[in-house]
Amino acid sequence: MTDARVTGAARYSEDVDLDGQLHARLVRSPFAHARVLAVEAGAVPSGCVTLLPDDVRGLARYGVQIEDESVLALDRVRYVGDVVAAVAAETPRDAEEAAALVQVDYEEAPPVLDVVEAVAPGAPLVHDEIALASGGAAYFGMRPQPGTNVCHRFQLHHGDVAAAWAQADVVVEETYRTAAAQHAAMEPHACVARWDGDRLEVFTGTQTPFNLREELARVFGLAPDRVRIVVPPMGGSFGAKTFLRTEAVAAALARKAGRPVKLVLPRAEEWQTLNRHGAVVTMKLGALADGTLLALETTCLADTGAYADCGPGVAQKMGFAAPGPYRIPNVRVDARCVYTNLPPAGAFRGYGQMQSAWARERAVDLLAERLGLDPLELRLRNLLRDGDVYCTGETMHDLHFAECLEASAKAIAWHEGREGKGLSVILKGMQTPSRASIRVEREDDGAYTLRCATTEMGQGARRAITLLAAELLEVEPELVRFPDPDTDLVPFDTRTTSSRSTYMMACALEAAVRDLRENGGAVGEGEALEEGGLDPDTGQGIASTHWHQGAAGAEVRVDEETGKVEVVRLHCAVYAGRVVNRAGAELQNEGSMIMGLGTALFEEVVAAEGQVTNANLSDYPVPSFADLPGRLTQELIERDGAEVHGLGETALPPVPAAVGNAVASLGIPVTELPLTPERVLEAAARVAEKVA
Amino acid sequence: MSTEPEWLVPASLDEALALRAERREGATVVAGGTFVGILVNSRLMAPEAFLSLQRVAGLDYIRGDGDLRIGALTTHRAVELSPVVRKGWPALAQAFSVVASPRVRNQATVGGVLADADYASDPPSMFVALGARAVARSVREEREVPVEELITGFYETSLEPDELLVEVVVPGGEHRAAYRKFRSRSHEDRPAVGVAVCRRPGELRVVVGAVAGTPQWFPELCDPEAPPAEVARSYAAAIDPIADVSGSAEYRRRVIEVEVRRALEAVA
Repeated sequence: MTDARVTGAARYSEDVDLDGQLHARLVRSPFAHARVLAVEAGAVPSGCVTLLPDDVRGLARYGVQIEDESVLALDRVRYVGDVVAAVAAETPRDAEEAAALVQVDYEEAPPVLDVVEAVAPGAPLVHDEIALASGGAAYFGMRPQPGTNVCHRFQLHHGDVAAAWAQADVVVEETYRTAAAQHAAMEPHACVARWDGDRLEVFTGTQTPFNLREELARVFGLAPDRVRIVVPPMGGSFGAKTFLRTEAVAAALARKAGRPVKLVLPRAEEWQTLNRHGAVVTMKLGALADGTLLALETTCLADTGAYADCGPGVAQKMGFAAPGPYRIPNVRVDARCVYTNLPPAGAFRGYGQMQSAWARERAVDLLAERLGLDPLELRLRNLLRDGDVYCTGETMHDLHFAECLEASAKAIAWHEGREGKGLSVILKGMQTPSRASIRVEREDDGAYTLRCATTEMGQGARRAITLLAAELLEVEPELVRFPDPDTDLVPFDTRTTSSRSTYMMACALEAAVRDLRENGGAVGEGEALEEGGLDPDTGQGIASTHWHQGAAGAEVRVDEETGKVEVVRLHCAVYAGRVVNRAGAELQNEGSMIMGLGTALFEEVVAAEGQVTNANLSDYPVPSFADLPGRLTQELIERDGAEVHGLGETALPPVPAAVGNAVASLGIPVTELPLTPERVLEAAARVAEKVA
Repeated sequence: MSTEPEWLVPASLDEALALRAERREGATVVAGGTFVGILVNSRLMAPEAFLSLQRVAGLDYIRGDGDLRIGALTTHRAVELSPVVRKGWPALAQAFSVVASPRVRNQATVGGVLADADYASDPPSMFVALGARAVARSVREEREVPVEELITGFYETSLEPDELLVEVVVPGGEHRAAYRKFRSRSHEDRPAVGVAVCRRPGELRVVVGAVAGTPQWFPELCDPEAPPAEVARSYAAAIDPIADVSGSAEYRRRVIEVEVRRALEAVA
């Protein structure tokens, strides 16, 4: 089979062109925090269409979990890059030149640019009020803290932590940091919007067609079925293309212009559109002398930038996954999603769980060191096993943490010597609650068409679901068609995120094929529903109906004179259940590991006074093949007849911690990601100072 | 509305020189485009006209007869892979081989990397250490200028507005040289510190790149008899490093000391 992606024939979101379309460019704030006094477009040539704040004042605010965004920033800009106006013209170049002619008067205000400062009393407020969202993506109770920059606070209480510290023989506590990062998908955000009367159609690269439809309908005051979203394949996303991004401004411009409007972001604007949450996580662990874990207490601060987006969900997952795959009788989690005057942060492969895994797994090694125990033995002694109850109160099943961890240890020859080696093990929740539905239609030529909202971003979901359908329908994969998701034609699906689609759609598909067989063979519909959710004040409930499980082992060399870390060996083992598409599963693991290496070693969004200073792929390098360890291997742990497990992210969160623990095994207790040579030397110097 | 930038595409060097004399700073010279492309895409530069050397014939050559002569339009990749360079000036091939990625090296030119005077490049310091001279030509004259006098500051050279860099000449003769690139991030990253050293009979050159506006060479500190650690210490003390996303000034100073020592040990 010739893959269109290889031959260059594939068409992506960016390749959609509509007759008569104009091209848009955005006018962005140069200040991190300022009042907008006036926006003036008199110098823009008459052939261009401008969208100014007064054009959008009547439109509703949006935001999947907190309604804190408007189509354009109205009276206040909250980060360098906040959109104050937009211009559409015949060519992208004309639009860019016209955008430069829009005059904006600002009055600067003090910004808050650090997540720790943002939660301190008296910090400047990024938003005066925090309005809750009503849509389907606000699937848990929001707990904004009025009068602060905290837009959501998630707490988990399990047992009695205070009493446990007194019983512990050893207690360790440390603060760990993770830098903001950029998704750096090959294709930038790209969409085209057009109106047909009061009906809006948007062709866009998005992982969330139904959430986007709901949000656009709210913004423009339309019934959801008056909005149509069509999703061509994306040239990568990694979480960047979730929820409403550039579509509302394109749609508002198109309505004003009376013509379709296309908006493709220039690369540099990707850093101003969505990044990964930088985080500060404090982790305190207590254990008995034999290594039995007694208590874990953690505070997580997730820097969500100027707008919440799905940051509350990210902070909540960072929080509920922070205790990790361990039996711990006493747990206290306090996770906060915090506004700052930095570019917004949202979904990113690993979804908050890498940041808390970095802290916890480093702390577990610290504990092992204090106890004089082998870090592998300490973990194995405390890992959750089938039937154990997690700190959320849910009973855990089908657990394979020990297998993943032991496989990782074996791959790096842990038992032959631990110097320069590190291990980590993680659990990762899947979107819960969630619903997936699919329709299978038999065509006259004997082929079948899948009506399915699962979007393709290079992760191979389309291939996996096609293969599953072919197997269930007992036809060759070539006879299964999977057109681009179109909300007019496909049944509802929560979204293509959190490594849920292969699993959820597999369940829905089985039901649909059953339905097709039972009802004459022409059409079958199927649905899969997962109920659950957590109480945000106690952290009790069902965090995830389906847990992703993974572990990593790393071996490093550190140049003691320069601090440069070289990863010579990296292995990840993940629980895969039943594998649908082996090549795709292996590539997902490898991709996750490589992305994890970037996070571990050098990826970092750098800002000065709120302005990102490395917003290009020369100053913000992502891993190249030459950065890979000499040996990079992955392993799918399988069970015949088991459930299908999503694999899109599982191998990312354990990687930075495994690398960090490997560095720490050489006496360099690193606490901050990425592990740049400079930070490694600083960590080594702190030890030297203490010894002195 | 706006007009697209004008592209001047001469087919010969004489034509290119005539256009250069006519347009001077009004047309931005572009060869492989890897440097100018980034600046234009980042909106740091919006020239009204480009003077493209893409079609100029006769400037893509490597000749190693005594001295090494490299035409300005020779790509990095060609230098890296040239048997002539690898045999006679292996450290130069090494310095070109570590620039960015093969995609960039297939496109970036030798003339470009010198005329851009980008501080965070690998080849310039190696050229200085080897005692290379750049050949500049205009409709008026042709002249040779040592590379250390060609690069005068951040993105600044001593080229006149009517001159084009047409060739680089690297002296032959007995020598031992080495280039060490220290990257603080990805393998494809620019250097945080680059160290080029060259020993010739009775002479030592140590040149540190990517730490200041120009390749840093201190002839008075290059005692051929001094132990590597001593030269390394004196270089670390003499250089006032810049700070950027690749590392702080203090950190760079430390790496300079380590890498100068290691480079000197490699040619001891």
